[in-house]
Amino acid sequence: MTSPPKMLWSVVLGGLVLLALALGCWQVLAALRYHWNWPGIWEYRELMGRGWLLTIGISAAALVGTVVLGLLLAIGQQVREPVLRTVCRMIVEIIRGTPLLTQLLLGYYVVASAFHLNDKITAGIVLLVVFESAYMAEILRGGVASIERGQWDAAKALGLSRWQTWRWIILPQALRRVLPGMAGQSASLVKDSSLLSVIGVMEFAKQTDVAVSTASVSLEGYIPMAIGYLALTLPLSYLARRLERRWRIL
Amino acid sequence: MLRTTLPCLSALLLLLGVLAGCSPRSDSGPPPLRVGMELSTPPFEMSDATGKPDGVSVRMAEAMAQKLGRPLQIEVMAFKGLETALKTGKIDVILSSMTDTPKRRESLDFSDTYCRVGLALLVPKDSNVQSVTDLNQPGRKIVARLGTTAVDYVKSTIPQAEIVLQDQTAACLLEITQRKADAFIYDQLSILKMHLSQPESTRALLAPLEAGPWAMAVAKGNPEFLAQINAFLKEFRAAGGFDKLADQYLKAEKAALAAQGVPFIME
Repeated sequence: MTSPPKMLWSVVLGGLVLLALALGCWQVLAALRYHWNWPGIWEYRELMGRGWLLTIGISAAALVGTVVLGLLLAIGQQVREPVLRTVCRMIVEIIRGTPLLTQLLLGYYVVASAFHLNDKITAGIVLLVVFESAYMAEILRGGVASIERGQWDAAKALGLSRWQTWRWIILPQALRRVLPGMAGQSASLVKDSSLLSVIGVMEFAKQTDVAVSTASVSLEGYIPMAIGYLALTLPLSYLARRLERRWRIL
Repeated sequence: MLRTTLPCLSALLLLLGVLAGCSPRSDSGPPPLRVGMELSTPPFEMSDATGKPDGVSVRMAEAMAQKLGRPLQIEVMAFKGLETALKTGKIDVILSSMTDTPKRRESLDFSDTYCRVGLALLVPKDSNVQSVTDLNQPGRKIVARLGTTAVDYVKSTIPQAEIVLQDQTAACLLEITQRKADAFIYDQLSILKMHLSQPESTRALLAPLEAGPWAMAVAKGNPEFLAQINAFLKEFRAAGGFDKLADQYLKAEKAALAAQGVPFIME
């Protein structure tokens, strides 16, 4: 653990950097000939707040789903079974190679309709999970591939089964290595969720849009939007760093 | 690991349950009239502070649902998604300040025109542009919003100028307030509204460049439904419904258009 004075120092340093950034932004914005209308956007705080909460809900659900499905796809590409391996590989390549917009439109209006899944939010979460897990799978696969051959051999020599090797030897080491990448992908997921508005999910970015056009403002809405997304992605980075420290090899 | 996984999974299940509970369930009785719109063209489609759809189109949709004897269900989504939603039967009609164009007619059917909103110009305050002819020369930059009729207009009528495409009206406005572009072409009402929000840095030229007929869109092959909509529009106009809505939502716009000698859009 970090010692208290050191932690205090980093908090102070972080605060100073933030202050400098804010001052810089203020200078730039003050130089703009821009007529600010903060009361205009403040009227729509409830609308934006609701979108923000929906984005939190969607992101949280999709994040859990993405880690699970991503892990399955990553392991699926490593198994000996050739059919399963090829299928997993193809799924990853197709999903990663096509735009999320296409996947959402086709996925919701065609595929989900065929399965009588008409709830936009549920369908949106599922589609987001599918998209993000392709990237997550590759991050995880990279981590697994970075574990030396010797670890597998050692596990075998100890008489561990294949499942035990994955569970106790490979995954714990691989997960620690891929945490920074996973944190980045999680932040992408939170921001990618803004595309769900094309299927009618009124999440944070779209509600900001509605508030911005109704209140006839622009930056007054997009600056709070940036802060709102930061408020979601910063805790994710923090969590990843904490886990990294907790899972550190002594 | 398991200690944290289990609560996460149960939270996910709970969340899914709650979210699923939020979705509207249809009851028996006449099928709901599902009207699709994007809430970003005040005062036609906008939102009140709590997120409830409001505006001229919402009042029109309410009157139309009443006339058809069907409960109204407004489906809010991004403009980009409206056409797909209509073609796949997720909504019955688009009522979203949509311009009736020959290109759109290839894949959709349109009702009678309920409003005529022409394209207008927003220029920087100190700009020397007085009309669209001033813009048709190399080096001029014109902003248009992706997917709007303004894009085609610029390409066909102002071919000399460079076109800058933006996805958001707010970004288009910024191009003008920061003088990155010479003009933003959009509908008269939005241009007026944006000018009023940034009076120190912009000027609005409201004379309509090209009259845009606004109409409701339905999926192809529904002649009875289209006839019902047209009958409603006729009746609504005769009963003074549009005049009432103009007084309620468009008073300032009516005055501003009159001040530049431009005819009102719902006449």
